[in-house]
Amino acid sequence: MENQENQNGRRILYLWLPYWPTDRLWRAQQAGRSTPTAELDKSLALALIAARQGGQRVAAVNMAAAEAGIGMGMMLTDARALLPELAVYPMAPEEDARALAGLADWCGRYSPWVSLDGDGAHDSGGQHGICLDVTGCAHLFGGEDAMLADLVRRMHGFAIQARLAIANSLGAAWAVARYGGQGTAIVPANETRAALKRLPVAALRLSPGAADALARLGLGRIGELYALPRGALTARFGREVTYRLDQALAKLSEPLLPRPACTSFWSRLAFAEPIGHRDHIARAAGQLINDLCTVLEREERGARRIELRLYLADGTVQRIKAGLNRASREPAHLLRLLAEHLPSLEAGFGADLMLLMVGQSNPLPAGQRTLDNGETGGIEELAPLLDRLGNRLGAANVARFVPVQSHLPEQAARLAPPLTRAVGEWRHVARRPVYLLPRPELVEAVAEVPDGPPVMFRWRGIAHRVQRGDGPERIAPEWWHDMQAGAARLAGETRDYYRIEDSRGQRYWLYRQGLYDDAMARIPDWYLHGFFA
Amino acid sequence: MSYAELQVTSNFSFLRGGSHPDELAITAAALGLSAIAITDRNSLAGVVRAHVGAKSAGIRLLVGARLDLQDGPSLLCFPSDRAAYGRLSRLLTVGRRRAPKGECRLSLDDVLSYDRGQIFVILAPPEPDEAFAELLEKLGRDWPGCCYLAGHYLYSGDDRRRLARLAALAEATAMPLVATNDVHYHGPGRRPLQDVLCCIREHCTLAEAGFHLDANAERHLKDAGEMTRLFANYPDAVARTVELAERCRFSLDELRYEYPAEPVPAGRSAQEELQRLTWIGARERYGVVIGTNVRDLLRHELDLIGKLEYAPYFLTVHDIVRFARERGILCQGRGSAANSAVCYCLGITAVDPARLDLLFERFISAERDEPPDIDVDFEHERREEVIQYVYEKYGRTRAGMTATVISYRAKSAIREVGKALGLSLDAVGALADNVWGWGGDQVEGEKVREIGLDPGDPTVAMAIRLARELTGFPRHLSQHVGGFVITRGALSEVVPITNAAMAERTVIEWDKNDLDALGILKIDLLSLGMLTCIHKGFDLIAQHHGRKLSLATVPAEDSAVYDMLCRADSIGVFQVESRAQMTMLPRLRPRNFYDLVIEVAIVRPGPIQGDMVHPYLRRRAGRERLEYPSKDLEDVLGKTLGIPLFQEQAMRIAIVAAGFTPSEADRLRRTMATFRHTGTIHTFRHKMIEGMAARGYDRDFAERCFKQIEGFGEYGFPESHAASFALLVYISAWMKHHYPAVFACALLNSQPMGFYAPAQIVRDAREHGAEVLPVDINHSDWDCTIEAGALRLGLRQIRHFQEVSAEILVAKRGPEHGGGYEGPEDLWRRTGLGVGALEKLADADAWRSTGLDRRQALWTLKRLNQPELPLFAAAQARPPSVHATKEAEVALPDMPIGEQVVQDYASLRLSLKDHPLRLLRPALDRRDIVENEMLLNLRAGAWVTVAGLVLVRQRPATASGVIFITIEDEGAVANIIVRPPVFESHRRIVLSSRLLAARGRLEREGMIIHVLAEELIDLSVDLDRLRENPDATSGQQPFARRCRAGHPRNAHPAAPIPQARSFR
Repeated sequence: MENQENQNGRRILYLWLPYWPTDRLWRAQQAGRSTPTAELDKSLALALIAARQGGQRVAAVNMAAAEAGIGMGMMLTDARALLPELAVYPMAPEEDARALAGLADWCGRYSPWVSLDGDGAHDSGGQHGICLDVTGCAHLFGGEDAMLADLVRRMHGFAIQARLAIANSLGAAWAVARYGGQGTAIVPANETRAALKRLPVAALRLSPGAADALARLGLGRIGELYALPRGALTARFGREVTYRLDQALAKLSEPLLPRPACTSFWSRLAFAEPIGHRDHIARAAGQLINDLCTVLEREERGARRIELRLYLADGTVQRIKAGLNRASREPAHLLRLLAEHLPSLEAGFGADLMLLMVGQSNPLPAGQRTLDNGETGGIEELAPLLDRLGNRLGAANVARFVPVQSHLPEQAARLAPPLTRAVGEWRHVARRPVYLLPRPELVEAVAEVPDGPPVMFRWRGIAHRVQRGDGPERIAPEWWHDMQAGAARLAGETRDYYRIEDSRGQRYWLYRQGLYDDAMARIPDWYLHGFFA
Repeated sequence: MSYAELQVTSNFSFLRGGSHPDELAITAAALGLSAIAITDRNSLAGVVRAHVGAKSAGIRLLVGARLDLQDGPSLLCFPSDRAAYGRLSRLLTVGRRRAPKGECRLSLDDVLSYDRGQIFVILAPPEPDEAFAELLEKLGRDWPGCCYLAGHYLYSGDDRRRLARLAALAEATAMPLVATNDVHYHGPGRRPLQDVLCCIREHCTLAEAGFHLDANAERHLKDAGEMTRLFANYPDAVARTVELAERCRFSLDELRYEYPAEPVPAGRSAQEELQRLTWIGARERYGVVIGTNVRDLLRHELDLIGKLEYAPYFLTVHDIVRFARERGILCQGRGSAANSAVCYCLGITAVDPARLDLLFERFISAERDEPPDIDVDFEHERREEVIQYVYEKYGRTRAGMTATVISYRAKSAIREVGKALGLSLDAVGALADNVWGWGGDQVEGEKVREIGLDPGDPTVAMAIRLARELTGFPRHLSQHVGGFVITRGALSEVVPITNAAMAERTVIEWDKNDLDALGILKIDLLSLGMLTCIHKGFDLIAQHHGRKLSLATVPAEDSAVYDMLCRADSIGVFQVESRAQMTMLPRLRPRNFYDLVIEVAIVRPGPIQGDMVHPYLRRRAGRERLEYPSKDLEDVLGKTLGIPLFQEQAMRIAIVAAGFTPSEADRLRRTMATFRHTGTIHTFRHKMIEGMAARGYDRDFAERCFKQIEGFGEYGFPESHAASFALLVYISAWMKHHYPAVFACALLNSQPMGFYAPAQIVRDAREHGAEVLPVDINHSDWDCTIEAGALRLGLRQIRHFQEVSAEILVAKRGPEHGGGYEGPEDLWRRTGLGVGALEKLADADAWRSTGLDRRQALWTLKRLNQPELPLFAAAQARPPSVHATKEAEVALPDMPIGEQVVQDYASLRLSLKDHPLRLLRPALDRRDIVENEMLLNLRAGAWVTVAGLVLVRQRPATASGVIFITIEDEGAVANIIVRPPVFESHRRIVLSSRLLAARGRLEREGMIIHVLAEELIDLSVDLDRLRENPDATSGQQPFARRCRAGHPRNAHPAAPIPQARSFR
């Protein structure tokens, strides 16, 4: 383990993703993970919008849009006036954050100490970044240059636009990456002051008020602050300016907020060629477990939670997590726990790096024995049964009905997985038959014009005399599904439903398709649609 | 069999009904129903329109409302007579006054206390239960013989069973069953729109709406035969509808308006009092000896007023005007009756009608039995005092503001419809912004294609169709800007009163067209910024030049003033400062007051649409022979060289030349102005053109006259209005000419008003020789002031600086507090103002008198910000001392002039130091951009490029898409004309640039010069660059800015130079 306390030797990599939301969307569409109306062309101007004060405003842009002058916060109308061909999608901050967290996990390949810039939940573009504490990690890659080059190459491969800097403080790396004007930069430990000198004060992560006030005072660049008496600054801006300046100049330490999975027990395995075969993965996992258990044994601890991460060549991360009721460092047991999940891995492009880390550990108590994950109850007991049924009958064949808000009977319900919680209400229950024919069947019927119930009908060759009839319940078609249809056709598709009891006491649900109308030359057809109990 | 429909929800039950009240009434008449009711939810807002529609269609209207109660079933309530109507109206007032705007809270107990004379129809809940049966029994006892139970047949499958159940209930409780169809739209074709309205109400798309939508399209009006068939088992229920309708004999025609009694003193009749006041006023206006013609005129008018019994109305207006005058609030009347000699004598107007030869009778005639119309304009800052006076004098129970019905416009309609149909955000936005923008109410397929949508796409086509239907639907009621209704009895017995959005305001449920239709009197108490400005100007002249003036005493017919106007030197002058007016001034060359009346009236949609402007100008210039279409029309058009320019002239033509009766002519005007243009307009058009042709007039002339009436519809400018406005034109021009510093000062202190921003007002004042002094903490008041003849800018010019802060600052500056401020600490200590406010003063560079520029001041102030001295209160007792810790001097970088100017603009929206364009000039020179002043020396047709800050963009509705842009550089303004094709290819630049260069051909028309743009270039980036670099160069690649910021979020920083005013 590296000595993290050595501030002077600390090296921070800041990865700024200026176009993250649009890059993310593009990647999602490329991967076919969402269903866009049109595939985006990366060279087309693209803006993501969100409802802000005054209406729809631009919340993120891609580079093409930025170059055409589309700026954050513009009204959508203005943006469209500027660039009529602008493609527009809604901003999806949650998905951006989720994907950013995924990318941060992926960055774990460079260093286990990864954190998101800010809280990760940005609702506008240009704010997304990832910080890595790469202190002592660079040698794994052959130095900082090689490490940066590797990261840049991979980002390029992922079609993610990134600007990167390594410096000996987060503040400096942040400033240089965002304001340095270069794609990548490595600031040697003794050149921080010089590197920051010409950057605007906003690069110090100041509040907008302070940055603006400094600019109004003619102190717009960081270098102009160096010469000022600190007292004079503190007297005017409180500690903010000097604090941020000290952070950037590495005079003050700034801990990275670790992501949850950060750990002090981990093992790492990199492959020259990505591996994808399940056996290879299982073997690698076994080796990682052995390595890890060695460390745990040395530290006299046992794992309560473990996580296996596979860094795939397409930039995604696959994970397997396992929890233990009691701490363990028994390799065979840990392997068994992981192995249960190995079949579900989707290692598509293959993994070029695997990490195994301990999420939580306890001092290992003596005499640990069995591990059991047993408690069940309520619906959980049903679940294994449904799983078995599903296995045997085909998952799609075990389902339940859930209500759908539609007046059309055949659309008023849909099938859903058996454990789906039903939302909404069943309407018209009393008036609906228990069994609905999959497809209404044509019948011949005799009925009073215009909307009396039938007096007799013939279904599948058998005549039924109607004893009692009730209705009609008039249900018009859902016109918005077919806006081309003229009014006449809509009227022709309106149904009048009747509840019918025949002379044998059997009850049917019939409808007449179309209304009697002076203008209608056609005689409406009758259909049988269902049976009452 | 006959049938009357009793349960009808119109679109005044907002987002619930799918048809206009008049559509419903007309359809009901066409179906041969014996009567139709309008029963909107807890509202009478739609009944007047239904009344008008029913009257013209010849069907009887039942006025009623559906009462949705908080604790009971819904009821339909039909007043049987006038008194019961008053009670219903009061009931609704009670329910609405206790609920927030737009809502109504009523309980059954409320209904019980206003139930006399009402006939109720009870609407059964979906599942009528025991409790409902008990309630029915109770209500049957409470309202014996005037309570019915409604039954529906709505094709819901169990209608028969339900009807049988209700019939049994009716039987048991002796409450007769009555048939209704719960009508929500006039014909089944409205179902799609009805579904969309439901989606708008529920904020969902059609696909999501589910059970919010009705299952079928049966809630339309049905004729008696169909209703009889549906209720075959209950013929009595159908027959009872007619019986019920017969029992309700109340008609809105019975709402006889009665004038308030207050203005008439006891012991005198209103007419006597009016005569007394008129003659007193006449002596004040004309002196002791009143000329015979004036005397005759007054006698004549008073006779007419007496005959029509309008005296109380004139007295009411007089009383309000008298109050305003006592409070020193400038006001002026206008409107059809305003330019009578009586109004002049009463002080309601300041235009002497004897001078103008305005004929009172044209506006009030015995034949047209309708109240006269007087609108009164007040100073905008003080109108509220007048409104409160009216409330106080007549009480809230008798005075109320009229409503304005806010309707769906094309743009909002397509937006809502598109959302409901599930069109993508893009498509909705594109449709709304590009197709429907700018008041065009038409969607053409071509345009739809241009924005990348397929007009043949069924969804798009449906969206456009439904949006057209939705356009004009009422959305909610809002408060009219100044319309007041005052009644003798309780107002709430005439019309329900509801809460307005504004606290302490109440609004009636009807708008001015409704009131007009019922002949109910209203007075418009409007606010006018120019009156504020003139008042302030008069005060300043009195204070600094010792000259007391009033609207009536400003020296008349000053030829120097007309000279100025003829030069189109009219920035800040009332009405004639717009681009169109400025273009007209040198062509029309006004030389006397009546010319100004014409000037005001001619640049209006009416004359422009009627193509009357050019003929008038030609005749005025003597380039066209003066001739009249007929002898009759010579009387009508004599004053305007044979060209109809005023609204009443167009009306007179309809009467004299097309054979309209005066009331027909008035209906014509009203059709144009008021309700939606229904089919009637074609009838009028035909009648007018054929009528004129039959009398031997040129068809083309007839056509133009009709077009003009169309144009007048919404923006009517009768001669009397024009005359009242012309007076303000003259007075403001007079003040501008004689006291430019005072005029600018008054204008600045009355902002926001008019077309121009402070920068142009100040610049114009300087061009007229006024000296302008900067804002300063030791010299400025809140308002701009006159300081030894010079204009001192006030603290009000500083953006975001509060008036209360200014008051404290000025108060503590007095000699008793130690006189002027020495510096930031001194001021801070003496005023106790927050450092934030003081920083705003620094931003405005207002510390110069203490020897500090804005940077130094800010540097000092920033230090005060830190609460390092909690003991400061104690220190206050001591003489002003330096901080405990004296700190070393810090040399701040000097602020370059460019940034000074930009900062001035950012804080003050103007700069006295320099003009940004002068600083940019070297760069502009390199691009061959000439100064605006140079345009004077260039010949017409020359190619030229000019640049300037964009002051105003205008797109007059009458200019067929042409856009006028006014730009300003260091020397002069230039006018740019952008034709539609150029606009389409430079859309963004036209709309958003702050600094604009235009390249095109120079055009000259007399003194008017403009550049007909072929190419437009956005130079706004250069303005931002001024901040840093005094010799900024254009032509650098625009990326420079973005790269410097290095950050997409900074790509559009807050603009220090404000956006121009657009399209007004």
